[in-house]
Amino acid sequence: MSALLLNRTTRGRALAAWLVTVAFIVPIYIALVSAFKSQSQILSNPLGPPVPFTWENIGNALSRPDALVQTGLLNSIVVTVATLLVLIPLAAAASFWISERTGWVKSGLIALFALGLMIPPQVVLQPIVSLLQSVGLANSYPGLILSNIGGGYMSFAVFVYVGFLRTVPRDVIEAARVDGASELRVWWTIVMPLLRPATATVGIFLGLWVWNDFLNPLFILGPLQGQTITTGIYQSLGQYSTDYGQLFGIMFLAALIPVVGYLVTQREFIHGLMSGASKG
Amino acid sequence: MSTHTQPHARHRIGLAPLAVLALLLYAAFLIYPLVQSFITSLTNRNVLNATNAFIGFANFAELVHDERFLRSLGFTLVVVLFVTVVSNVFGLLFAMLLNGPARHYKIMRTLVFIPQVLSGVIVAFMWRSILTENGLLNSVLQGTGLTQQPISWLGTPELATLSICVVVSWMTIAFTTVVYTAALQSVPAELHEAARMDGAGPLNRFRNVTLPMIAPGTTISVTLTLITTLKLFDVIAVLTGGGPANSTKSVAFYLIDVAFTSNRFGYASAIAMVLLALTAVVAYGVTYLLRRREAHL
Repeated sequence: MSALLLNRTTRGRALAAWLVTVAFIVPIYIALVSAFKSQSQILSNPLGPPVPFTWENIGNALSRPDALVQTGLLNSIVVTVATLLVLIPLAAAASFWISERTGWVKSGLIALFALGLMIPPQVVLQPIVSLLQSVGLANSYPGLILSNIGGGYMSFAVFVYVGFLRTVPRDVIEAARVDGASELRVWWTIVMPLLRPATATVGIFLGLWVWNDFLNPLFILGPLQGQTITTGIYQSLGQYSTDYGQLFGIMFLAALIPVVGYLVTQREFIHGLMSGASKG
Repeated sequence: MSTHTQPHARHRIGLAPLAVLALLLYAAFLIYPLVQSFITSLTNRNVLNATNAFIGFANFAELVHDERFLRSLGFTLVVVLFVTVVSNVFGLLFAMLLNGPARHYKIMRTLVFIPQVLSGVIVAFMWRSILTENGLLNSVLQGTGLTQQPISWLGTPELATLSICVVVSWMTIAFTTVVYTAALQSVPAELHEAARMDGAGPLNRFRNVTLPMIAPGTTISVTLTLITTLKLFDVIAVLTGGGPANSTKSVAFYLIDVAFTSNRFGYASAIAMVLLALTAVVAYGVTYLLRRREAHL
């Protein structure tokens, strides 16, 4: 009897949980099915399933004369990969170096890097644009990538690495030093592998943030230099917004990489968030 | 930690160049722009008029009388307050509901986080196609006969503000749910069991066991919600473009407007200083208050 009752409350709870979840993701469901429905289907029955199923929206999105999706995705990949490839080793090395300091040097450097965590990007945007202009990197991909590397993302990476280094046992590192390994070698062959979980967190989150960034590409690249997928959607779709079929087709293609990336790296993703949240 | 012996000192230079390089880039793209922004806020710098004179705090004096700025400040505070309260309350409720043991709860938690993975631009376009005058919501409302005329969800100042609040809360709930789930999972089950043994009811256990135990998670969630909402830009740009009649321009949005449309760098920098001060007060103030509360619980 009591087992039956328990079973019923468990089921009731699961049902409630599913109802809330489904209601919450209705906008995503609409966007997903609309990518495979005709314009008239989308408008007459937004919640209906994509029957009959059509690839036309995806086809239209991919055959635009401005190649918005293809160039946008390519540019976003270049910017994201280049930023991470430089930022990750640089931030890891700096964090390891900082963690080996003592006293006010260490706490001062940590405080300095922490500053970037709370500065709204709008506050520093105009001086960054002026700075890039004065060194001839305005409206360029190297300019955008450099400002990604040196800006608030660096703060996040250092914050994660320095926090993680507190938990790394020192004896392995000391043993390598005693064996006479150079400091660069210790860092690359011993510290970097130890830092792998932190690197996963940094790579996943910064990858997502750089990919989804809107403000910096919009103003640092400007409209003439081609666009990342995020700014490209913004600048091209303003006038197309009544063509829902194509709009949802483009959004589907633009969201594919981050969503699949999230689903694949989900464990590390949630773990990164959780360790951040529980450490406080 | 500093047990390194002298003979190894020569190896210690090894990483210094990389650390210095990181520091230089950070100085160039964060510290210098920050200082520059402060200095510019005391000038009338404008590239179009080629003015760049020191004018003291005149920009800040102008801000006090600038109705657009005051409006953006009011709008920002409304959105920040709404989003912080709604997304933390619902985030905690969702987390408690979705923190089930069975495997399919994990699927639900995976689904609920997806709004955080999408860019603000995509989220805003999704919602715009739902909320716009001839959009999907009005087509459903009119189709079912609930309303005769389409409702202007993005067309009046009040409804546009509400729409932005709802969309941003929706994105943020995805984040707060995961943070509160993590916090809930760190509460030992024995504590609940012990409280149950002592005859504490569900509400009592929530107040006296759950809330105190998740306090660090609450601090993180509230602080990050505040900081993120204060710098909100992309969702507004797509959803309303700051309209109608400037009613949905946040401080961050107005600042970009003044800097890149009117080219008044000096005045824009003064707005930037206000935004920075607001963020600093919120970040440190709220963290301080919540930490004190953590200690009391």
